[in-house]
Amino acid sequence: MTMLSRVAERLFWCARYLERAEGVARLCAAYNHLVLDIPKGHEPGWQILIHTLDVGDDYLNLHRSYNERGIFRFLIANPKQGSSIHFAISAVRENIRTTRDVLPEEAWEYINELYLYSQEMAERSIGRRNRFEYLERVITGCQMFNGLVLSTLPRDHAYRFIKLGSLLERADMATRVIDVGAAQIVNREMDDPTVEPLLWSNLLKSLSAIGAYRQAVGPLVNANEVIDFVFRELTLPRSVRFCLNGIHEELLALPDHHPTTHLINRLIVQVQEFNAEQMNFEQVHEFIDEFQLQLTEVSHRILHTWCRIT
Amino acid sequence: MNSAHWDAYRPTGYYDELMGDSGHPRTVARRAVNLLRQLDDGEVEARRAAAELVIREMGISFTVYSEGGNIDRAWPFDTIPRIISSKQWNLVSAGLVQRSRALNRFIDDVYNRQRIFAEGVVPAEIVLESSNYKPQCAGFSPRFGVWAHICGSDLVRDGNGHFYVLEDNLRVPSGVAYMLENREITKRVLPELFENYSILPVDDYPNRLYSTLASISPRQVKRPTVVVLTPGIYNSAYFEHAFLAQGMGAQLVEGSDLFVKDELVYMRTVEGPVRVDVIYRRIDDEFIDPDAFRADSQLGVPGLMAVWRAGNVAIANAPGSGVADDKVIYSYVPDMIRYYLKEEPLSRNVPTYRCMIEREREYVLNNLDKLVVKPANESGGYGLMIGPHASAATRAQFARLIEKHPRNYIAQPTLTLSTAPTYIDNRVEPRHLDLRPFILQGRDSWVTPGGLTRVAMKKGSLVVNSSQGGGSKDTWIVAQGNPKPRRTRS
Repeated sequence: MTMLSRVAERLFWCARYLERAEGVARLCAAYNHLVLDIPKGHEPGWQILIHTLDVGDDYLNLHRSYNERGIFRFLIANPKQGSSIHFAISAVRENIRTTRDVLPEEAWEYINELYLYSQEMAERSIGRRNRFEYLERVITGCQMFNGLVLSTLPRDHAYRFIKLGSLLERADMATRVIDVGAAQIVNREMDDPTVEPLLWSNLLKSLSAIGAYRQAVGPLVNANEVIDFVFRELTLPRSVRFCLNGIHEELLALPDHHPTTHLINRLIVQVQEFNAEQMNFEQVHEFIDEFQLQLTEVSHRILHTWCRIT
Repeated sequence: MNSAHWDAYRPTGYYDELMGDSGHPRTVARRAVNLLRQLDDGEVEARRAAAELVIREMGISFTVYSEGGNIDRAWPFDTIPRIISSKQWNLVSAGLVQRSRALNRFIDDVYNRQRIFAEGVVPAEIVLESSNYKPQCAGFSPRFGVWAHICGSDLVRDGNGHFYVLEDNLRVPSGVAYMLENREITKRVLPELFENYSILPVDDYPNRLYSTLASISPRQVKRPTVVVLTPGIYNSAYFEHAFLAQGMGAQLVEGSDLFVKDELVYMRTVEGPVRVDVIYRRIDDEFIDPDAFRADSQLGVPGLMAVWRAGNVAIANAPGSGVADDKVIYSYVPDMIRYYLKEEPLSRNVPTYRCMIEREREYVLNNLDKLVVKPANESGGYGLMIGPHASAATRAQFARLIEKHPRNYIAQPTLTLSTAPTYIDNRVEPRHLDLRPFILQGRDSWVTPGGLTRVAMKKGSLVVNSSQGGGSKDTWIVAQGNPKPRRTRS
């Protein structure tokens, strides 16, 4: 099946933004749970959400200080900011509007519904009362779309570029989830030893991975093992390794894939050699920063090689 | 009860599509009306809400240009279908095919031998001096001599129920996707109506369109590469462009997706360049090729016209087709039918006064309060004057315009457009409507069974354009000879 370069680009971005909406919603929901779980006075600060998403400057342009309401207004309802759910879903919709001819017909209906919901309810969902329901509906809406794609879309280029976009964003988000944990421990003023397992199990929950972790590793949640699990677990669909393997597999079906697969292979080796035991949390954080830059480079190469051929 | 609304329904002074003068439904509409009468107010409201929800969720929208930027408006839809018998429709359909054949012969003639001028049937100057005549197209003849492959003709019905052709849109007629979606909505919200009727299906259209386009491909291959060329997301008909591309399994391309190399057209794809055989273009002539037409166009493909003239790509509708899309030319269609086809016209033209002809202009100027004055070369219902409703100042303004540019104006008697029952705030009221069927012409010709019915939602209004507050209805062509309701198991 022929695929226009422009359409491939839009599908790629559509998938990235959809994954971003879901990822941000998952992260916010998990962090919320964490905050509610921790005794008053010991709660971790909300600004970590902003920092792990690398949007601190944008945030401070709009808000004077870090506070719960401001942060959720920013992450849920801001219509202009690339990491807000509202913006991400609008971007998905805009990209599908111009590619609906290559997607199943329901794709547009699903996204349109999600868009209408996320737009109408965003402002009302900043406060704690409606926040969970909102985040859950967003996650479900994204899952519905992914399910549709998975179960109906022919395994051709449309599927390929959607998958590339999703997996890149998902890998990036998985590293950010670990970063939340690492940052939390580094910046920690909390001295309560019961907090750490709560922190990591909530982060695993944000990846729907707590059950898998218990089965594969054991019932005790420990920082290093969680970090290794999220980076390297081959069977976990939201692990970094799993995402990189999926990207590699899709790239092989494209012409002129060598420069890009080469880069992916390098990242796979880095993940294989990664060992949380031998690092402190500062080093984990630095590794993640460097890793995210390389993921951005993969994204550039994909766009350059297949989406803007001139 | 809702039936009270129906009992009070009286179409006054117009031909009503569903109801006779006596207040009884027409034969073809009887079963539908009887069923609709049984719906109480709550049911009517529920169906309308359901239709709105479907429209919202299906994302059926059209874009309206406004000062505050473009807005996407949901498609306004009335749930009561318009019903026409197939017997009546077959005559209309034959008339439309005949028109399309004659119009295509005319366009081909204008750009080549110009026999119709030589024989004095149509004056040469009104064609050659028109901005719709594109000298870039002269001396070329597309496959089968067909230029306008897709024609959308606007029909209205007078007080006696006779169909008239109001205009033939030969450039980039739109609306067909809404016709298809209207049927989808009705099937979802009033499924019980379908039980007792055998309604001709419309969803065949994308296949017919693909076959028509494939038939004009320069490469005779099993599956020629057909693309839909759109000006992009901000075009009011973008929804339709995407809809049709998807329906045909064709690529929806923008100008920047295509390029010309060695007298061939290619599209940029993930796998590299792919040759294009047929372009169903939904952008105006002026914008398709900056080398041949407007140099400032960002929407088109440089060098496209040269490839077309070399016969290496087919363009539908062919550039230059708009030469016959003009209200002055329209007035000559019956003559064209007689001249080219040696047949009598099967369709009716609305009597048209051409202001360029002195005798007719005088009549127009003396009867401005009775006539509708239209620019010869505009669409969308803009810039027209409905004499009986216009102020003295507007009439004076149009009189000046006509005297200054007589070639640019025509006038027609105000037609008593037909009406159909339409839900207005849970009441049933008559509203005026028209009908736009689509005629396909390639190797073969085909007419949509029915078309897009547009409704003027404002009381008494005759303006049906969606850009000016019009709505639409599902249109049924009902096969006769199956009068008994189908028995359902109890």
